[in-house]
This record gives sequence, structure tokens and C-alpha cells, in this order.
Amino acid sequence: MNKLREINPLLLLAMFLIPLALVIAAVPENTTKPYKLTVEQLLSELTVGSQYFSSDDIADLIVKKDPSIQLIDVRSESDFKKYHLPGAINIPLTDVLYNENEEVLNQDVKTNVFYSNGTVDANQAWLICTQLGYKNNYVLQGGLNYWAESIISPKKPGDVAPNDEFAKYDYRKAMSSALGGGSLEAQSAAPAQSGGSVPVIQKKAKKKKGGGGC
Amino acid sequence: MGPLFVNEIITQGTDFLFAFLIGIGFGFVLESSGFSSSRRLAGVFYGYDTLVLKVFFTAALTSMLGLLFLSLFGWVDLSSVYVNPTFLYSAIFGGVVMGAGFILGGFCPGTSLCGAVIGKIDAMVFIVGLFIGIIIFAEGYPLWEEFYKAMPLGSPKLNEVIGISQGVLALIFVLVALSLFWVGEWVEKKFPAEKY
Repeated sequence: MNKLREINPLLLLAMFLIPLALVIAAVPENTTKPYKLTVEQLLSELTVGSQYFSSDDIADLIVKKDPSIQLIDVRSESDFKKYHLPGAINIPLTDVLYNENEEVLNQDVKTNVFYSNGTVDANQAWLICTQLGYKNNYVLQGGLNYWAESIISPKKPGDVAPNDEFAKYDYRKAMSSALGGGSLEAQSAAPAQSGGSVPVIQKKAKKKKGGGGC
Repeated sequence: MGPLFVNEIITQGTDFLFAFLIGIGFGFVLESSGFSSSRRLAGVFYGYDTLVLKVFFTAALTSMLGLLFLSLFGWVDLSSVYVNPTFLYSAIFGGVVMGAGFILGGFCPGTSLCGAVIGKIDAMVFIVGLFIGIIIFAEGYPLWEEFYKAMPLGSPKLNEVIGISQGVLALIFVLVALSLFWVGEWVEKKFPAEKY
């Protein structure tokens, strides 16, 4: 220890700092994109299902031509060409990480809603984006299959069904006609006042920034 | 994982607690290294004492290397560390004003508080002046707002501007700082101060 004290302090400092700086200069920068959620947070998001938009809500938003919504079809390009929801863009699941898609996926202006035939592919896209810390990404609940079932050709409820089942049916019928599917039976329910609840866009608290100074 | 507050691992309250503890440590180190003496700070300008230069540069080097290593290990996400935006003209003008204040007053904002709590009257006067400056700036803000916000450069990083990796820049910075220390010690011998 006394030996150490005899060395010029400047030399001592140099002996510590230069090797450390050499290491830092030699290693490549860490450019990995860190995953943002812990397993527990992810599990709780998944169990609550807060990433889902119901097909009724989406239909309402499409009919109203809500500019804040961006539908993203994660199926293949050929499937997208055969059929896609009005206004949707195509980002196949395999292309989610492409840089040119980042500005669509990583932004906080629009609400992105992924959909696929079922929900698996859309959920996978959502999972990747959420883990990368991208905001405002959601999933169409039930996917296109449930969309077809509920919006394109809704089933008439049985005669003894509760009233709100009929209301829902009329609403879906109206949506369906507004979107150009099904027949035009349910003219009675005007889409404008069908009371389709506009989904509350859940904005997470924006990351806080800390200031600094001397 | 880090920054802890940005990633909401700790609350704002805990963040303030850490800031409080670090602040106490900072003040303690400032006082015990003699920064509460106005002669020390002015000494950098006159060349008889370069301790201030060494302490602040060493602090910068330590935090620079520390952050780079934490980032290397994936413990801190450097992209979410807040960097003060640069407004070129106000940065230059502010630097000149602050430097002149250093020489005239013999304190920087932090060390003036250090000096004041151990009862130095010049430090207390300095703090009064500091607040007068703050009031003039705030009340007259419309007058200099345009100049204050001129040439906004965002948060540029030196290594990106000159196009080298941040590790290499860190190495250069360490070497430059160490040679500055060496030059400083040489200058100290050249311009010795009368004892105080």
C-alpha cells in the first residue's frame, strides 16, 4: 500500500483510466435493442387482454374513417391482395423488424391494430413491437375469422335472446352494410347513432425525461 | 434495465431521494477537496492551482467510462439517457458569462453554496448575485428569447459529428484529459502562488 502511495497520483490515474478506455475503444458499441417488459408485466398484459380491440369497435372506427387508426395486415402479401380490411396496410409478420417499417410501428401518433386470420400472428407482431418498447400497438380480437363471423355476416339471435343481443345484431348489420358486406335488411339502425362505443385509446404514460445541470 | 427512473423501476420520489443523497455526497466532496475557497477556482485562471480542473475532468471521465461500460453490459440504455439540447449561441455566450463569473466571484453555483454553509461571506454575496442574475434572466426573457433559442442543434454527440465510434472518442478524451492534468501540474510549478 505504501508503494502505491509513492507513485505519482497522475500516473496512478493514467494506469486506471487508459486500460479502461482502451477496452471501451476496442469493443463494438452495444446496439442491441433492449426488451422493455419484464415477464411479469407481459403476463399481466396478456391475461388482462388490454392489447385487444373488438371487431365492433374497429368496424365503427372504419365506418367513421377515423384517421387515428392504422390497420396493419400481418398476413402474406398474396393473402393481403385477395382480401383486406378497408384502409389496411400490409406488413407481413416476417417483415416486422425491417427498418422501413419502423416508422409505422414505432410512433405515438396513430393507433396501430394488427390483424391476421386468427389472432396468433397478430399477437406475435404485437409481442415483438411491445417488447421493443413501441407504443400504441393493438390486436384485432378474433382476427379476420371472427370479423367475418360477426361483422360481415352476423347471425340473427334467437327469439328469446336478451334485448341487447338484438341491439348488437342490428349494430353489426348496419356496420356490415356500411362496409359493403351482407344484405341491407337492417336499415332501421342508422350507423351514425348506433351507439358504437368509441374505444378509449389507452395511452401509456410517456416516458419521463429527467433534467440535469451543474 | 437503466435508467431506473425512465424505465419506471423506481418512482419519482425514490429518484429524488437518490438525487438528495448524491447531492449530499457531491457537496461533501466539494468541501473536503477545498472547493469552498474562492482562491481555488480563480487559481485555474491564474495558473497556480489546477485542482478544480482535475476534479471536474476526473468526474467527467469516471462517469463517461462508467456509462459506456454499463451500456456495454446492457445495464443502461444510453438512448434514453437525457441529454441537454444544444443551442449553439446561448451555449457559447453562457460559457463566457459563467467563466467570467468564475474569475470575478471565485465560485461556481455549486461551490458557492458549499462556501456559504461553512460561513463564507463572499459565497453568500455570490449567491445573492446568482439570484439577481436568475431574476434578470427570467423577467427579461422576452428580450433575449430569440437569441436564447438561436441555432438549435438538438442533442448532437461529438463522436457522431466527427464520425468516430464513441469508444474511440472516449479513449481520445481520456488521453487529452491526462495530458491536460500533466500540463496543469507543469503550469502550477511555473506560476506558484503565495501561500494561503
